[in-house]
Amino acid sequence: MATRTVAARQAVPEPQRAQRVRVNRDTRFAYALLFPTVFLILLLVGFPFLRALWLSFHKKLLGAQDAPWIGLGNYSSLIHDTAFWASVKNTMIFTGGSIACKLLLGLTVALILNEALPLRALWRSIVLLPYAMPTLVSVLVWKWMYNDVGGVFNYLLQKSTIRETPTLWLADPSKAMGAVIAVNVWRGFPFFVITILAGLQAVPQELYDAAKVDGAGVWSRFIKVTLPGITPVLAVVTLFSTILTFNDFSIIWILTRGGPGGATDVLSTLTYKIAIPGLELGKGVAVSVLMLPILVAFIILLNRFMNQREEIA
Amino acid sequence: MTVKPIAAPSVAQASVQKRIVAYRAQRIAFRTFGWVLLAAILLIALFPVYFMTITAFHPPTLATARVPTLFTTHPTLKAFRDLIHQYPYMTWMRNTVLVSVCSTILSVSFATFAAYSLSRLRYPGRQVFSNAVFLVYLFPSTLLFIPIFIVCKDLHLLDKLPALVAVYLTFSIPFSVYLLKAYFLSIPRELEDAALVDGATRWESMTKIIMPLATPGIAVACIYSFTLAWNEYLYAFTLLSNSNNFTLAPGLTKLIFGDVFLWGMIMAGGLLMSIPLLVLYFAAQRFIVAGLAAGAVKG
Repeated sequence: MATRTVAARQAVPEPQRAQRVRVNRDTRFAYALLFPTVFLILLLVGFPFLRALWLSFHKKLLGAQDAPWIGLGNYSSLIHDTAFWASVKNTMIFTGGSIACKLLLGLTVALILNEALPLRALWRSIVLLPYAMPTLVSVLVWKWMYNDVGGVFNYLLQKSTIRETPTLWLADPSKAMGAVIAVNVWRGFPFFVITILAGLQAVPQELYDAAKVDGAGVWSRFIKVTLPGITPVLAVVTLFSTILTFNDFSIIWILTRGGPGGATDVLSTLTYKIAIPGLELGKGVAVSVLMLPILVAFIILLNRFMNQREEIA
Repeated sequence: MTVKPIAAPSVAQASVQKRIVAYRAQRIAFRTFGWVLLAAILLIALFPVYFMTITAFHPPTLATARVPTLFTTHPTLKAFRDLIHQYPYMTWMRNTVLVSVCSTILSVSFATFAAYSLSRLRYPGRQVFSNAVFLVYLFPSTLLFIPIFIVCKDLHLLDKLPALVAVYLTFSIPFSVYLLKAYFLSIPRELEDAALVDGATRWESMTKIIMPLATPGIAVACIYSFTLAWNEYLYAFTLLSNSNNFTLAPGLTKLIFGDVFLWGMIMAGGLLMSIPLLVLYFAAQRFIVAGLAAGAVKG
């Protein structure tokens, strides 16, 4: 970066002062264009973030005027709280399970749609459908399908006599997590399909032709040509979705409110529960602050991947 | 180095034949498997949408019956009428449109400037700003909603739609900047250089050359900002409390009373809430797909 700037400066011939004036003017123009965005981000994200850090060191109750400093009190009470550790575990299961399924499903569907199928555009539109629906609406529809009375899953299971009694998909602690993951996968897999599809289309056809000439079958072509060709895309899309899934609140909140008995409580729902119904704003914020390091690590990693790709492109 | 023994031609031919047959069989197997899988996935993608639509048009008794009806023989608009008469659904819709449109216009205009600056001009700190915008884009709203709630409460901004618009800028600006930056980078620099040499100012070259060329990218940024605001639940749910100020997302959850769900009305409301997005998506699908691809593939 530094060397580049030096090189750019040297590239400006000394006598051409006009050019230098232009560079200065450009710099001022660049800052002016950036100003509203930077100002708004500092005001709407930077300031609340500092306020959040401040809160996490105070005992701030909802509705209370004073907020005494309690140092690491919020953090230490969380660390000794089994509900916190349970939600850490649940967050990992929810995120890991969702991402693994989305990746597998997304890759498979992308590979199928990458073939020269008849009506391919139509199939692609249908696959995009879950992504185009408002999140909340799709979550509510799933909740309706999971319902014990009149829910379509139980109806079909009972009709086909696989089960006699209705399954409590969302109220049974052993099934709730799977049910919640299924909804997240349904909603999120089209993103994987579309991005992986774009990645597949960027793999040069010559490589496939060469592999074919060498007698490589479908499977070995996939392992030796396709997979290496789309690895960067897979990495980016996986990281991206991991970050968004990690933060997800509305799917779990609407489906189970973190229940039954905390079986699907993730860090985001725990934050909300402690802060708003539990009135302990400071402690609620502390939950989110604790999840921040992992998240920022993911974001930095993703950013590095994206910048690399940018330089290549 | 030893020379490989060459097999007799007939044997070689037979083995080639065999490989071709095996190759074809493998291909047919993959194809069949692919079609079956695709059919299953299309069914899974479509079914919830179908089920929502069917429930919305059910007579209300059927929507709460023990047996879900997978077809409807007597479609009725009763659920829609009830929704509009018994709840301020149209007000929620109007609020959602207002909030989404305002936050889209504001965020995309600011983001266009910022993205131009970050992608077209060189200056100290550019990379830092660029990284910071990306970080902010993925910054968790679960961390920000509590301090934002407190600030809004202190400033008496709870239940105010303009405050919600401002809050939505926290994610729609960084997202649009990130998307547009990628788009601007894909426009050849030479086009602009030519204009600058001809004496155009930066402002002119930005507004008259780059922005018209970036129209598809700007369209995608608009669609996404609109969608993000339209879908947003956590902030709307915490910052709005008066039913008349609700947007659609918290509004729909208003139809849940503890364990009692007014499924017919919820599905009717959900369908109405989905239609604008579905229309937008399918009308602009080409752009959306390109945007998704540019977003994650090209950065």
